[in-house]
This record gives sequence, C-alpha cells and structure tokens, in this order.
Amino acid sequence: MTPAHHLDPATVMAYAAGALSEAMAVVVAAHLTGCDHCRAQVRDAERIGGVLVEQQQPDEVGAGRREQLRAEMIERLDQSPVFPAQAAQAPAPTVSDPDPLPAPLHPYFGRSFGTLKWRWMAPGVHCIRSPVAGGGQLFMLRIAPGKSMPLHGHGRSELTQVLRGAYNDVLGHFGPGDVADLDSEVMHQPVTAVGSPCICVAALDAPLRFPGWFARRLQPLVGL
Amino acid sequence: MKPESTGGTYSPFEAIRIVSTSKLPANDGHDWSTEMVAVAQRRDRASFMRIYDHFMPRVCLYLRGMGSTAAIAEELAQETLLRLWQRAASYDPSLSRVSTWLFRIARNLHIDKVRKESGWMLVQDALEAEEADHDGRAASSAEAYVEHTRIKACIDRLPATQARLVRMSYFEAKSHHEIAQELGMPLGTVKSSLRRAFLKLQADVRGAA
Repeated sequence: MTPAHHLDPATVMAYAAGALSEAMAVVVAAHLTGCDHCRAQVRDAERIGGVLVEQQQPDEVGAGRREQLRAEMIERLDQSPVFPAQAAQAPAPTVSDPDPLPAPLHPYFGRSFGTLKWRWMAPGVHCIRSPVAGGGQLFMLRIAPGKSMPLHGHGRSELTQVLRGAYNDVLGHFGPGDVADLDSEVMHQPVTAVGSPCICVAALDAPLRFPGWFARRLQPLVGL
Repeated sequence: MKPESTGGTYSPFEAIRIVSTSKLPANDGHDWSTEMVAVAQRRDRASFMRIYDHFMPRVCLYLRGMGSTAAIAEELAQETLLRLWQRAASYDPSLSRVSTWLFRIARNLHIDKVRKESGWMLVQDALEAEEADHDGRAASSAEAYVEHTRIKACIDRLPATQARLVRMSYFEAKSHHEIAQELGMPLGTVKSSLRRAFLKLQADVRGAA
C-alpha cells in the first residue's frame, strides 16, 4: 500500500546527510520501510551527497603522510577478506512474529507489538519512551479510538508515523504508513478514528519537554 | 560537539565558490565506474588505487567536517575505501556511482562509530533488503548515465544561501534547527530553502530524460 502522506523533501535531505537527530531518523526510517517513494527520494539525496563529497577540494596533506596511508592501504588489501557479490543482507531471520514492529524500531522498542510495555499517561492514552542520543525525544503512543488530542503547535519539528489505526486533523486523514512531517508553524488537533486504537511512533526535535509539556496540554482536554 | 570549521578565513559564500571550483586536474569526466568494474571483476589493484588516490582525501575531508578529529577521519576514510575493495563484487555500475557508494559508507561509519547511534546500521541494512525485495532500485537506475559535470553545474548554480544550507547539512551534519539558530533565520525559511535546493538538484541527479 502506498502511503498518502510523505516526508518533506527537506527532511529527506537531512536524513540522507546524516543531519537528523537520532529520534527523528528512527521515525524517518520507520516510514521508509513502507514507502518506495520516499526511499527513492533518499537515494537521490545520497547521490547529491556523493557529488558534493567528490567536488570538494581536499587540503594538501603532507606527502609523507599520504604515502604512509597509501602503503598501509596496499598492505591491507592483501590481508582483508573479500566478499562475494550479494544482495543486501536481510536482517537475521527470526521466529515468525505475527505482530512485528517495523525493523527500524527494533533497537528502540523491541520486535513485536505484542511485547510493548505501555505506560498509562492519561485516560485513553498510553506511551512508551525510548532513550536516544542527542536532544530529541522518541516515543510511541497508543490512543483510544475517537479521542481528541489537545490542540498544539510545535516549538520545533515533529514527525509522526502512523503504524496502526488512524487519525484526522486539519491536514487530512492519516492511516497506517502515513507520516506527518510538521514544522513549528503548524497547529493541529488530531482526533483518532473510531474502531481501533491509533498507534504511532513519533519524534520531537526539542529538548526535554515531554511528557510534562505534553501532559499539561493533554490534561484539560481529558478532563483531569 | 562543534564540527571543525572547513571555511577557513573565507566568508561562507566565498567558501562555497572555492569548494565548487576544483583546482585538481580534470577528474570530473573520469569514469570511476569502469575502474570499479575492473576491481569487481579482476581485483584490479591499479584501478583501485586510482579510485583511492582520488577519493581518499575527499572522504577524509568530509569526515572531518562531520565532526571527527583528523586522526579518526583518516582511520574511517581508510576503512571506507577498504570496504569498497572488499565489497566490490556487489558493485553494479547501473545502480550507483562510485561517489554515492563511498558517501553512504562514510556517512554510515561516522554515524555508527562516532555518533554511536545503535540502530543506524541495522536500519540501513533493513532498507537495502526492502529495496531488493520491492525492486525499489528500478527508479534509481538512471544514475550512471547522468553526467557528473551536469550535477556539479547545477550545484554551482544554486543561489548562495541555498548552497550554504546544503553544505551545512551535508558537510557539517547540522539539523534544520541548528542552521536556523546559527544563521539567525526562521526555521520555516531554512526548510523551504532546502526543499527548493533539493528539488532542483534532484531533477539533475535523476537526469530527467
């Protein structure tokens, strides 16, 4: 199924350049596993990277040092194993999981929806945070069907990938595979679709304002 | 951690011009793919060392910009080139340029070894496997036929600000937010400038036939 909502090209470029925080990169990757369109965009951005790297004017490294490194490399060519042609290495096959999470989430949330350790955050809202490097926040949310989230804007960027269920906001309908790539100017109030809970993985490119910040906004709406 | 400045005493805009005007002999037209095929098929050392001599200092400079010390950049650049040698048999000239391959290897090594992001390599492997499954590479196969000089010309034609933002992304791994702060620009402007730059460059890397 092709997602209806894709990554912002500026986000694609930052991802390919290695310029996204780990939290944002994980959500991008979760989207890429199900989106041929955005994967092709990333490959284009990597090509741009290749051209840029080649285009650089390298410093004049000392000739002596250069020769030394060169000699070391020639020596290593003899010593290093050489690999046969192969397709990309698929991740190690595991016991078939009827309920797998996208592979990019495994190091952060485990392998399966079934083993997620949800923590109650507010009525109808459960959350799991995962520690990441850098200043961002990475978390999964499970929101009960038909629930209205607080109207909120974003100090910085927010990236949300829908894994299950769906929600609607001013930007449209977001179902499984869709990503909402929002910057600081967008105010939105997601309302989850009726039926099944909406499960998302999300990243905030902002420092340490979750869950306090989020919870404060959430509370008035859920009547606490 | 502050990446080392690569701009020297030049203003950012002068630096762009300098970087984009190679003073080296005309290597732009060099067919690195053919050298690479020789490595893949015959383990041709002379071809490999020509690739090495051209790319090693560039990869090294790239890694220093990303924030590695000179010693670590050297080590990772050597490792990058060695992987090219080791994995040469998997190289398919119709799928990617040598420079794209090296860029990916160097970037991945940096994120894995220097930034120590635990999931990055796993994700890259998973994405490659996904592409192999879905034939997602079909859309990429035009790459080898696009003239390097044409892409380079397109980069040179970018407005100075867009070129500056592209460089800060690729050569300093600065996030949109960091760029906005450093240049005193609104975040939205940073993103829209990068968006425009990407769409222009993409049209050229895809070699719109």
